Amino acid sequence: MSHTKILLVDDEVEFVSALAERLELRNYEVKTASNALEALGLIHGYLPDVIVLDLRIPGMDGIETLKTIKKYDPAIEVIMLTGHGDSQSVEEGMKSGAFEYIMKPVDIGELTSKIDKAKRKREKG
Amino acid sequence: MDNKNEQDLRFLQLRFIGKILAGFTHEIKNHLAIVKESAGLMGDMIKMGKTAENESQYLEIIQSIEEQIERALVHFTYLNRFSHRMDTSLSTFNINESIEELTALLHRFANQKRIRIEKDFQKDLNPINSNPSMLQFLVFNFLEEAIAKLDKNSRIVVKTEVMNGSVAIRVIPEGNVLESDAEKVLCPPEITDYVIKMLNGNISRQGEGAVITLPVKAA
Repeated sequence: MSHTKILLVDDEVEFVSALAERLELRNYEVKTASNALEALGLIHGYLPDVIVLDLRIPGMDGIETLKTIKKYDPAIEVIMLTGHGDSQSVEEGMKSGAFEYIMKPVDIGELTSKIDKAKRKREKG
Repeated sequence: MDNKNEQDLRFLQLRFIGKILAGFTHEIKNHLAIVKESAGLMGDMIKMGKTAENESQYLEIIQSIEEQIERALVHFTYLNRFSHRMDTSLSTFNINESIEELTALLHRFANQKRIRIEKDFQKDLNPINSNPSMLQFLVFNFLEEAIAKLDKNSRIVVKTEVMNGSVAIRVIPEGNVLESDAEKVLCPPEITDYVIKMLNGNISRQGEGAVITLPVKAA
């Protein structure tokens, strides 16, 4: 499998920077964004394989962001980061084309496994 | 009439407590997620043999963990005070502190729409004798309605002041009101009027906002 480019989107800067470092230590290429607009701005130039998107980011709603991403490039796989109380949003997210979801706080092994699966799906087209 | 209002009030109070707890737990989960990732990062670095040369990075991560724990503790303090306000129906309390705690617990909901809740408190406000949890319930309802109606990137000012021998709490929404949500009513006016009557105070609705006035001493 080729090098995986990830975009992490979460407004908790410390969370996202620690998670980004952990993924980089595992040889993933990572960029981060703290809100929807920043994320959408980054997608065009960076072209990530997988986006890990917090559903509760300030500004644009997470589901709205997911739909915009899929409209821009349906091949980009999106993994939603959610809290336990977000079951309705998760359902809506899956219907809107999300690849998977993962609960916060995340298990790094579970996250990388889902990222790898998402990347394989993207490569298969 | 009062019986119906009592029933509706209980339902809305439970909804209020539920919303506060949801915001609190979400906030704490975020702090714990940061602590978990920070500890995980240190673990990764040790396992990968990145030790001595990264001493300063370790110290930074430890400091970040300490800061998250401090922030979580502040929220626990707010929730603890909030819970104890329901212990008695009448007590002497500082209005500014009770609203500070309420807005902190509501911060996450406002932040979802990038709405800032700004406090403009009269600093030398004397403590009042009233029902603190009912007052928080009232302020919550006006704040929640303003958050629902306002467009993104707006602000809500909460102002406290002494006015004609009473204490006034003004909730002033500032920003565009979403046309689709302009008629939204989350708490019927008859309930807020019912509660303010219990507190021997007054509510004056001004546009999307409101002024709650309370006597300094309970009747």
